[in-house]
Parts: sequence; C-alpha cells; structure tokens
Amino acid sequence: MSEFLNLLAAGLTSGAIYGILGACLAVWFRVCNVLNLAVGDFAMLGAIGTAVLVQNDDIPFVAAIVVDLVAVGVVAWLFDRLVLHFAFDRRAGGHGIVSVFFYTFGLSLVIEGAARALFGTDVHSAPAIWSGPALTIADFHVQRAGILVIALAAVSGLALWAYLHFTVSGRAASACGESVLGSRIVGIDSALFRRRIFIMTAVLAALFGVVESPLTGFTYQSGPTISLIGVVAAGFAAFRRPGRAVVVGLVLGVAEAMLGGYVSTEYNDVLLYAILFVILIVQPEILGLSAVLA
Amino acid sequence: MTEPAASASGAVQPVVAAERVAHQVRRRDPVPVSAFVCIAVVGSIALSVMNGSYLGLQVTTGVGYAVVTVGMVLQLGYSRQLAFSQSVFMGVGAYGTAILETKYNFNSAESLLAVIALATVVSLLVGSVVTRAPGLALALATLLLPLFIYELATFSTYLGSFAGISGVLPFWNGATYEQELVRSGIVSVVLLGLATGLILRVMRSGIGLQLMAMAEDERLGESLGVSLRQRRLEVFVLGSVLAAVGGAILASAQGLVTPDVLSESAEITLLIMVFVPGRKSVTATIIGAIVIEYLTTSTSFISTNLSTIEGVVLILVLIVEPDGVAGAVARLLGRRTDRWAAGLRAAAAKARARGGGSRAGDAV
Repeated sequence: MSEFLNLLAAGLTSGAIYGILGACLAVWFRVCNVLNLAVGDFAMLGAIGTAVLVQNDDIPFVAAIVVDLVAVGVVAWLFDRLVLHFAFDRRAGGHGIVSVFFYTFGLSLVIEGAARALFGTDVHSAPAIWSGPALTIADFHVQRAGILVIALAAVSGLALWAYLHFTVSGRAASACGESVLGSRIVGIDSALFRRRIFIMTAVLAALFGVVESPLTGFTYQSGPTISLIGVVAAGFAAFRRPGRAVVVGLVLGVAEAMLGGYVSTEYNDVLLYAILFVILIVQPEILGLSAVLA
Repeated sequence: MTEPAASASGAVQPVVAAERVAHQVRRRDPVPVSAFVCIAVVGSIALSVMNGSYLGLQVTTGVGYAVVTVGMVLQLGYSRQLAFSQSVFMGVGAYGTAILETKYNFNSAESLLAVIALATVVSLLVGSVVTRAPGLALALATLLLPLFIYELATFSTYLGSFAGISGVLPFWNGATYEQELVRSGIVSVVLLGLATGLILRVMRSGIGLQLMAMAEDERLGESLGVSLRQRRLEVFVLGSVLAAVGGAILASAQGLVTPDVLSESAEITLLIMVFVPGRKSVTATIIGAIVIEYLTTSTSFISTNLSTIEGVVLILVLIVEPDGVAGAVARLLGRRTDRWAAGLRAAAAKARARGGGSRAGDAV
C-alpha cells in the first residue's frame, strides 16, 4: 500500500508538471488557435534565471523571482510585438500550419540558444520555496516542492477554467479563438487578448519552473521536452480546455509512475506513449478533438 | 449585348486554363528524367573532385538529409500533411541497415532493398491508422511516435542502447577509405536523383493536381472525386520510404547509427532544412539540406549558436517570405521579369506611336 501511495505522490507531482504546461498551451490556443511550443522554455528561463540570480548575483530569493518573472514577461511581450503582431495583425508571413506551430517553435529555438550562451550547459536548481525534508506519514513520503507543484497546478487549472467560463473577459477571449473577425465586429480587441494571455501563460510557466526546479533541475535543453509533453496533455484536452488539461496531465503522470513501478522502470515512457498513441488513433472522438478539427 | 458576350468569354477562360493545365500534365514529362540525370552527373563529379575529403563526407551526409527533405516537400509543402514522423522512418532506415548488415550479414544493396520494403510495410501499417486523423490530430499522433521510439532505441540492448550500432558497410567498397567515400557518395546522389525524379513526377501528374486541390481545401478535393484517405496514405508512405532511404544513406556514410537519428532534435533539423530554403521547392530543399549540414558541422560559431541562428532565421523567413529563400528568389526574379515586361511594353508602345510597331506589340 505504501509503495502505491509513494508512486501516486510521485505520479501526481510529475503529472502536475504536464498538466500546468498543458493548461498554459490550451488557454492560449483557445484564444488564437496557435500552439505555444516555447512554454517549456519559459519554465526553463524561470528556473535557471532565478537560480543564477540567487547563486551568482547574490540577489535575495523573492527579489530574484520577481526580476525573473518580469524578464520573462518582457520576452513574451517583445515576441508578441516583433513577431506575432506582424504575423497576425498585419497579416504578414505564413498562416495555416505555419502559424499553428512554427512561430513559437522558432521562439523556442532562440530561447534555448540564448540560455546556453547566458547560463551554460550545467544543471541549475532554484532554491526551494518551502525548504525542509520530505513530509512523512508512516511509509508515505512526499517532497514539499512536490506539494507546491501539485497545488500550483490545481489552483492554475481552476483559475483558468473559472476565468474562461465565468468572466466577461474570459468569454471575450474565447470568442477571439472562435472568430477573429466576428470578435472584432463586436468590439473585442483580439490582439490585446492574444498578447495578455501569451504573457500571462509565459509568466505562469516561469513561476512553475521556479517551484519545480528543486525536484528535477533544469538545463538549457529542458524546455522542448516538457513542451512536447505539455502538447500531449493539451491535445488530450482538445487543445482548448485548460482545466481538463490539468486533469489529463495528472492522469498521465500517475499512469507513468504506476507503469514505472509495477511494469518496467526503463520502458514506462515507451508504454505510456504507445498507449496514448493507440487511444488517439482508435478513438479520437472520445478526446474531443473532433471539435477542434471541425 | 455586351453582357452575355462578357460572361461567355468569362466562361471560356477557365476552360482554356483547364486545357492548359491538362496539357502540362503530359504522359511523357522530360523534367523528372532531366532532374535525375542532372543531380546524378553534377553530384558524382562534385564528390569525385572532393576525393574522399571531410567535405565529401559532409556533402554525402547532406545528401542523406536531402533525400528525406525531398519527401517532406511533397508531404509538408505540397500536400500540407502535417506529420512529424520523418525522424522515426529515418531511424527505420538507419537501424534497419545496421541490423541487417551487422547481425544478418546482408550486403549493402540487399540491406537497402530490404529497408525500402520494410519501410513500405511499416509506413503502410502506421499510415493506414495515422492518416485517419486529419490536421492537428495527425500532427499529435505523429508527434507521439518519435517520443516513444527514441526511448525504445535508447534502452534496447538489441539496438545498441545509447552507443548505437557501429560497423555499417559503405554502399560501395573501395581500396581506401577515401575511395569508399567517393563511391558511396556517388550511389547516394544517384538515390537522391531517383527520389527527386519520383517526387517531381508525382507533383507534375494528375495525382499532384489532386494533392494540390486537397491541400487548398479538402472539401473541394472530395467534391472533385479525390479519395482523401487514399491520397493521404500514399503521400505518407512515399515520404516515409524516402526518409528511410535517407536514414540508410546516413548510416552508410557514417558507418554508425545512434539513437540521435530518432530524436526530436533530428526532426527539428529536418524541419529547418525544409522551411528555411522553401518548403515548396525541391531544388531549394536539396541545396538547403547540404548547405545547412555543411554549416552546422564546419564552423564552431554556427555549431555553438545553432539554436539561436536557426530560430532567428526561421522566424525571419516565416514573417518575410513564408515560402522560404526559394520564394524570395522567385519573387525577386518575378519583379525583374515584370520590369523587363514593362520595358518591352513601353518600347512596343513607342514603336506603335511611331507607326511601325505592330509586330513588337504582338510579340509582347
């Protein structure tokens, strides 16, 4: 029983990672039908940036977090002004599959390269926000950072879900994704919503990076891998439902941990992705992707 | 009376255009054969001149990538089929060749043929289920493939784990390493020529027109009688088989296969090689693949800052010219020919004004 509970805790922690990034991807896709493939790189910037500010520049931890989150917000704002504004508002550049994937894919490459130049190739971890040994009840152990990650994922998922469903601003944001022209006709500034939510999800991902980095550590190459898993979580939430993306992420994490614990520690990821692949191919309708495809 | 005449001429124009298109889709098309001969001859001469040097190895590796990108032009550029499985099939080609040659004593010709057959069967099986899912679902499904195949190769002792499999044979043996490299390079460019000829033939055929209609609007294609699922599957299989051939060339040139060939960074490299030179131009992607492979392995500045350079170039290309460098060149040439045409028209108008320019005007 204790093994099961420990696996469950580990699974929920890694699942929260997938879920929160999936939620960030889903909420922005809902607004502008673009996948943010740089979301993992924003998390990496949050983790490594804070670690470097604290360890190398002796800046107090809280100040370092604030400086880092502001810096990430500025990067996101600049990308919107310099690239997305021209691509979407001025209708320059490519559209269709190009706009869905490749603008943010380019941003991901730029951030990865810049992080390598700035921070080097070492593994970095920000200090723990809630420091101390793992909490233990009988044989059940859970890391304090893990509890924070799960809590952040749950709060973020709930907040994003509530924002989209119960606020006028959230409904206006959703309308932009349904029809840019229609939303503009009724006076909604789609560019403003795109920019706001892009910056907001970038900062949220960076904050998540700060909270999570004591558990796993980050290198300049961590971004694309966690972005891809976020895409999978968002995809299984029809790319548009942030709350559901968090739930899917948690389920993926628990399934991965259980497969690792009870089947194979080496092939748990292989099995998990294979199962997801089969589900996606056999029953795509169950996942709600038909709504996106329509 | 003028209105019916105008509508009649309007109705005639599409018919004439359709006849022109039909005329272009001839049974005997010299372009694919010319492309094959041109690539094989120019590539063989260039590799012979390089005489087995490190540059020759870089070009041969670039040729391997070019075979994959030629298939991606049909998949991504021409048919707009958003599939991210090319690195997986490159791995099928590379690992298939390595296993057959090192564990089952196949020679290089036998292993190449076996790998083509294997890739055809695997891509048919995978494609028959994957291509059921259109658009983003297809992208997501094919995105999952490299994730778990890479993990599988990394942990499998049969596939050599992290170290991979060494001892892959060159395509054509020689007395020295340099001679082997030149000969294998020549076989590689012949394969690239064949791949290019095949893709150009498909793009310039009636099937190519159907793919173009599908890419513009799937409902339009369906209403024209195009079998969407069949065409999607054919494009997927063709692209995958060419990716496997590219993987076999890489394995043969380097004599080694590692899980890196299956990784997401391999897929990223391929996407850059297609999008930056121009995803709709076969010529541009061939040159682009070879040039990018050369640049990334020959200068330390580029290899150190590769991600930043790739990202900036990709974003600039997508914003300024979505059809890549080939699109920019075509646009520049188009402007120049427009200027020439305007100059000719002006000259013809002057000649007419002088009273003797009807022939020049007719010519324009």
